[in-house]
Amino acid sequence: MKTSKVVLLVAMVVAGTALWAASPERYLHIKVNNPKTQELVRVNVPLSLAEQVVPAINHGDLKNGKIHVGNFNADDINLRALLQAVKSAPEGEFVSVQRPDEEVHVAKERGQLVAHVRDKGGKERVDVTIPWEVAQALISETTDNQLNLSAAIKALQNIGDMTLVTVAGEDESVRIWIDSNNTDAK
Amino acid sequence: MILLAKIGVGVLGTAMVAGAALSSEGFIAVKVQEKQADGTHLNLIVPAALVPATLHFVPKMKLQDAGREIRPYLPIIDAAIPALEDCPDGILVEVKDPGEHVLIQKSGGSVVIDVNDHDDIVHVSVPLRAAQSSIHQIAEANQTM
Repeated sequence: MKTSKVVLLVAMVVAGTALWAASPERYLHIKVNNPKTQELVRVNVPLSLAEQVVPAINHGDLKNGKIHVGNFNADDINLRALLQAVKSAPEGEFVSVQRPDEEVHVAKERGQLVAHVRDKGGKERVDVTIPWEVAQALISETTDNQLNLSAAIKALQNIGDMTLVTVAGEDESVRIWIDSNNTDAK
Repeated sequence: MILLAKIGVGVLGTAMVAGAALSSEGFIAVKVQEKQADGTHLNLIVPAALVPATLHFVPKMKLQDAGREIRPYLPIIDAAIPALEDCPDGILVEVKDPGEHVLIQKSGGSVVIDVNDHDDIVHVSVPLRAAQSSIHQIAEANQTM
């Protein structure tokens, strides 16, 4: 009986180790492309690398994995409180801003925070998708004017392959996405 | 005759051990090729294990400025290098424009940088572990002054 328990324990440890070893590296990809000037920048950051490095940076606004980003309470909007409210709200559009030159839409879609900015002249289009876990991680264990970059990177490890940001401009396009490929071949 | 054979085996064994020790941390490779007609072609391959040893012979004063500049970044370097060692191989950064191509990738235990521009082709490969110990040595040179 005792032997079978030991065998079971060993089997669990081996299986766990194999599973851990087999879990693929996740990558944050950034691609900036300018077809006019034929300029291309590709950055492939292994998330495990970012997870180790970001907390080690103590420079400027980035300290201990948290970044100080201006004042969230500006214009009487508390982003943390806003996110908490959005979390419990049903899916749908929350913010729609129509200006002569641009449109901004912020919505909760399939559990994700989605923002679309359209330049009415058709020159620029920005789409941002933030998985809910990442949005929550960003504001976890922070003061009002901080974003928890470290926690967000950890949260990104657990989400599926997805595009986070696309910027389509007249000259340049930017795409930021997550997957398990070590190149941006996708 | 047997004595000669024994000496031969001893010399060969020592050479092999020394060779293994020297190559244990990999090799630093630097290749520079100037594109102009009479341009320089430099090809340098150095055992990375030699770098920390060589740094011992560099006067501390010469390393003072570099050490002072590196010190604030040591925590980042110490976090990044082991994490990078554990990462799978692949391209980390690529910059392309009509006149230039820069590629930074991780290959094996090394960081490999390739630059191809109007004037030169440069290839540098540095084993990560050797880089970390050498950077520490340079930083400590500043501390001991």
